[in-house]
Amino acid sequence: MCMGGPPAPPRQEENEPVLEVRVQLLGGGGAHNINDNADILSEILARLDGRSLAAAAGVCRLWAAVSRRDAVWEELCLRHVGPASGPAAAGHATRTVVAALGGYRRLYRLCLGPALDRLGRAGALAHAQARERLSLSLSLSLFSIDCYERLGGAGGGGAAGRQQPPSSLLFLCKPVDVS
Amino acid sequence: MGRSAQGDAATAEVARKRQQQEDAAILLVHLLISCANAIQAGDYAAATSNLAAARTALATTVSTAAGIGRVLSHFAAALAQRLIPAQHGAAPNAASSAAHASELYRQFYEAGPYLKFAHFTANQAILEACDGCDRVHVIDLAIMQGVQWPSLIQAFSLRPGGPPAVRITGIGPPPAADGSRNELQDVGVRLAELARALNVPFSFNVVTADSLDALKPWMFQIVPGEALAVNSVCQLHRLLVDQDAASTSLPSPIDAVLGWVTALQPRVFTVVEQEADHNKPTLVERFVNALFYYAAVFDSMEALSAQRLALTGRPAAGGLGAEAYLQREIFNIVCSEGSGRVERHEPLVLWHARFWRAGMWQMPVGPSALGQATALLRTFSGAGFRAHECGGCLSLMWHDQALFTSSVWRAAPPTNTAAGDSILDKQADNGKSSSGSSDHHQAAAAPGGIAMK
Repeated sequence: MCMGGPPAPPRQEENEPVLEVRVQLLGGGGAHNINDNADILSEILARLDGRSLAAAAGVCRLWAAVSRRDAVWEELCLRHVGPASGPAAAGHATRTVVAALGGYRRLYRLCLGPALDRLGRAGALAHAQARERLSLSLSLSLFSIDCYERLGGAGGGGAAGRQQPPSSLLFLCKPVDVS
Repeated sequence: MGRSAQGDAATAEVARKRQQQEDAAILLVHLLISCANAIQAGDYAAATSNLAAARTALATTVSTAAGIGRVLSHFAAALAQRLIPAQHGAAPNAASSAAHASELYRQFYEAGPYLKFAHFTANQAILEACDGCDRVHVIDLAIMQGVQWPSLIQAFSLRPGGPPAVRITGIGPPPAADGSRNELQDVGVRLAELARALNVPFSFNVVTADSLDALKPWMFQIVPGEALAVNSVCQLHRLLVDQDAASTSLPSPIDAVLGWVTALQPRVFTVVEQEADHNKPTLVERFVNALFYYAAVFDSMEALSAQRLALTGRPAAGGLGAEAYLQREIFNIVCSEGSGRVERHEPLVLWHARFWRAGMWQMPVGPSALGQATALLRTFSGAGFRAHECGGCLSLMWHDQALFTSSVWRAAPPTNTAAGDSILDKQADNGKSSSGSSDHHQAAAAPGGIAMK
């Protein structure tokens, strides 16, 4: 599929239909459609900011499916973490951990997105500056707490009857009661 | 011409109103302190009239909806409680009050960066101290809802070279006799599930006790070769007792606990305490110190919830719970005496002397600790909060007031095997000699520096 050059990244407040038209024009005519190839669509959506990406899910079924791919959100997250996070940030180990905790889309929604919002409003920080201040390890710390709290059920009350987990998974020794 | 004059008049009016409110607040503070003075002197008539005047002010001139009036209303209520202890009906059900306390703790955790700062800085210290170890055993003096540990487990899971086997021993109160949910077991189950998802070998033990000083090292089933970390977040001050109560032949509870912690020879002992002086023997001194401390805390919480409102358009949930959590502390400081008073906050300089006597050495926080704590605070809160490093410890500051201090200790004298240890040697030398030192923490530890009982 020949595109005649990479599509320009859309501006933040761009309406989705306008994006589609621009890409079609660059494609040199009506022969190619952005929706023909989910992977190309994925490449494009991965360049959106968080808000636009979340909005993209409402365009059509294909966009909903593609914009929910965790790999798309992974790109978005990695774009926003600072250089201090190191090369390991993009590695397999991190991906495994994030997947176990709930995925990059959730990580962005719960940790990175709100942090970016706060930094953005905190005082007219340039986008690059804001990026430097976000640390992946810090976000993962917060994400793991969120995952833990979800494990317990709602708040401090918890579910009425918790199922006993398989004993092979845990080593709960008899509590030593010295009261 | 007319409009600018009107504008000037409006500005002047606003300024005058603000001055009025400030004056009213200052007057109220004086009334409350006079009341505390009167109680201390035994003059209950004067105390009652001061309190009545304070209540009038709270109802008329000082707004209790926000600002200084809110925290002052709590202190007024505490004084009222002290003057005329409310008669409760049937004793509250133990299980429901434990669940209630648990919920308040959770809301306080959510409402601000205070406990998050504590957990984060302690975890960083544990991570650094246990670097390279295959087995890590963490003893938490009060596991509560276990919220400190998910991020440590996660950090271990991404450690270069693979995660260690992690073992956590949670200390908590015995489960209620009426068979209600065992929160400690639940914490263990959830931590284990998280660790399993993150592929970190994990096990969990529970030690239940009504009081920490009944515990002994053998109860923790230490395995030789494991890297031991002991963690205490706002627990040690509860072990302090009145000066006269401490003069029995038995070691005081704090010395007993520091004794077994030291005997365990942990690789690292992480301590977070309120940076406040609320253990003075006289009511008035405690009252005044607590007034200023909690005014800062309430001020910070109010700024946070205003910020949340601005960001999300919705008020933060759980603000009232956080306030109730703090109110319990205020009431305990003002109303309780003797063994009933557990919120005996003391500043780091006094803790330093205690730890020193128990045979512990301070480990200064690592070079990146301040930056990481600052990043944490920036994530949670806007302007106002900051992390401050002083004498090797990290403090959470609200503007210029320190609220919590996180410090790191170890039992054995440091060995001279690594570059980092040479700092500890230098500190040890400073501590041993009684020559003057610019670091006030070291000076406090010098012999005769502080007259401890």
